[in-house]
Amino acid sequence: MNGYQKLWWEQAKSDHSVFLLIRRSGIAQCHALHYLQMVTEKIAKAYFWRSGSQPPKNHSGFVQYLRFLGQTRQTDRERIANLFTFTRFADFQNWIRANLPTAYELERLAPTLANDGPNPEYPWPHHQPKDAPVNYKFSIWGELTTGQGRDFMRIIAIAIDRFPEYADL
Amino acid sequence: MPTPPFDRDSLAQWYAKSHLDTDPGIDRVLYLPNEAPDREIRFVEINKMIGDRTDDSLEPIDFGIDTGTENEHKLLVLDVTPAQWERISSHQLPLPRDWSLDKALEFGHQQCRPTALSS
Repeated sequence: MNGYQKLWWEQAKSDHSVFLLIRRSGIAQCHALHYLQMVTEKIAKAYFWRSGSQPPKNHSGFVQYLRFLGQTRQTDRERIANLFTFTRFADFQNWIRANLPTAYELERLAPTLANDGPNPEYPWPHHQPKDAPVNYKFSIWGELTTGQGRDFMRIIAIAIDRFPEYADL
Repeated sequence: MPTPPFDRDSLAQWYAKSHLDTDPGIDRVLYLPNEAPDREIRFVEINKMIGDRTDDSLEPIDFGIDTGTENEHKLLVLDVTPAQWERISSHQLPLPRDWSLDKALEFGHQQCRPTALSS
């Protein structure tokens, strides 16, 4: 793990701790989603800094990060699958495929990607606000509270906790 | 109009039904009231759509609900695969610390009312 990666990972780790606190506290779901979106964006950036050059300065990246993990080179596949608690790499790839829609939805929560619609930070639409995040029921929150969604949050926790073990792969 | 008093068992039944109705992966929901704090609902949900994993350290996901109201409580859900559940029920795989299957109640798709756990 290089120095750039370490900085981004430390920030992602801290954001994740805040996400857990918010989820446990039961306050409006927009706050938990805001932090979860930031966690996923930052862990993706931490991963992409492995080349030593800066990733694009935008709020996307998590989907691409999952895709990269799903294309890990042959020699590292078993290791990365086991690290994410899968027995076989094919199972990990299947998990990624099944969860990409959730990853896309999470990525699109960032206000700049939300198309002037539901986002966890600012009332929308910008020119004539009709909704505020704090009152809004986000469909992705419903998905995250299903069995598959809880599993998704567990894998994100692993992605954060075990980052130093795969940062260079 | 006064708010009805917090009733953990009824709320657990409502959550269990809602999870079984909306999540096609869940086969059974086990409600573990024994040793849980008064305002905490603990579920083990046996989910056939979660792939088997190498990690046997079971981690419940916790949600705070109705914070700041008289109904404030926590919902903790431990998702397990059918294979993991077999290992739990045969005492090969431990539940999280302080979780107990004693006096556990089971909710299934065919049941209107919870029944005592039969593994």
